[in-house]
Amino acid sequence: MAKQHANWSPYDNNGGSCVAIAGADYCVIAADTRLSTGYNILTRDYSKICKLADKCVMASSGFQADVKALQKHLGARHLIYQHQHNKQMSCPAMAQLLSNTLYYKRFFPYYSFNVLGGLDNEGKGCVFTYDAVGSYEKVGYSSQGSGSTLIMPFLDNQLKSPSPLLLPAQDAVTPLAEDEAVDLVKTVFASASERDIYTGDKLEIVVINAAGLRREYIDLRKD
Amino acid sequence: MSIFEYNGSALVAMVGKNCFAIASDRRLGVQLQTIATDFQRISKIHDRLFLGLSGLATDAQTLYQKLVFRHKLYQLREERDMKPETFASLVSALLYEKRFGPFFCQPVIAGLGDDDKPFICTMDSIGAKELAKDFVVAGTASESLYGACESMFKENMEPEELFETVSQALLSSVDRDCLSGWGGHVYVVTPTEVKERILKGRMD
Repeated sequence: MAKQHANWSPYDNNGGSCVAIAGADYCVIAADTRLSTGYNILTRDYSKICKLADKCVMASSGFQADVKALQKHLGARHLIYQHQHNKQMSCPAMAQLLSNTLYYKRFFPYYSFNVLGGLDNEGKGCVFTYDAVGSYEKVGYSSQGSGSTLIMPFLDNQLKSPSPLLLPAQDAVTPLAEDEAVDLVKTVFASASERDIYTGDKLEIVVINAAGLRREYIDLRKD
Repeated sequence: MSIFEYNGSALVAMVGKNCFAIASDRRLGVQLQTIATDFQRISKIHDRLFLGLSGLATDAQTLYQKLVFRHKLYQLREERDMKPETFASLVSALLYEKRFGPFFCQPVIAGLGDDDKPFICTMDSIGAKELAKDFVVAGTASESLYGACESMFKENMEPEELFETVSQALLSSVDRDCLSGWGGHVYVVTPTEVKERILKGRMD
């Protein structure tokens, strides 16, 4: 007889979308605040964004229980790093740590689709995009989550990143100004909320620049 | 792999000011292999009515032949062209006839109705009509097309601006879909003329 399969899954998808855009001296990270399961909304006010270090912020969509565990793990590792090195982790360093942490659970993964955003050691914006098992890439912009298939083509159209295969190596950061990038993020989430049932309620935008970290909330469609 | 994803396709139709645009990609594939890069997915029914068929290419061709046949009969009997709304109902009825053994197609219908009012609609493979005032999408790239069109669409665009918008939306969307691409076919139809243009996009 055929092998019997479990009708219980350890995973669930809580929906939502995340976006990050890197600029010359800033980084914008945004995510909606809807937490859902199946066709139900659990809350309209859930933050998917987590500050991992001074200049490093992660937005994650997928299974939020795994996301919470991942954030806790990374926070603990960052604290140890600070004790050992007497400084905050840089964004590229955190990027590598996140990749290794995800791959550690290669055969029972964190169901977490992440974008990491922040400033590198020179103060330039950087965005790293991941899959669930830790494959990552430094990019100029990225989106993850239920609305990502709707959002990515439009970001491609507006921000077209140069190919990493080009020589000489071209900058991945966008020439957009900080306020233009924030407006683009608002437009993109307004469109995604129209067509994706799991995206909506409120939009949380985090902007990191030389001055520090700034948070903004915008209302989205609640249906 | 789903039967709807066997050949790969991308279709979009958008409404402008007294005009409409209907556009498709040009790839015909067999799962991951590309076998044609100049495939016509959009066909003219009459000067003011266009039909695009996404999904399984063989069903799209058969359905197109059946619809041309029915429209020609209509023209003989009524001595006039079919209105877009009527044609949409015809397509819907033909699809529902095969309710328990359907055509694996998703049609996009675009036409100019009475008073040159643009009409667009899409339906699922068993004929459930979706009338929209702004745009309709179909094919393997439909999710990307929803996102791109939703962000780029404006009401009452003139034909030239409509062409630009549809082209940008189509090319950005198919670039994120492995099964569609290899350029685009865009038809912009106004009460006086039909402009067919071919877009060059990423050839992969």
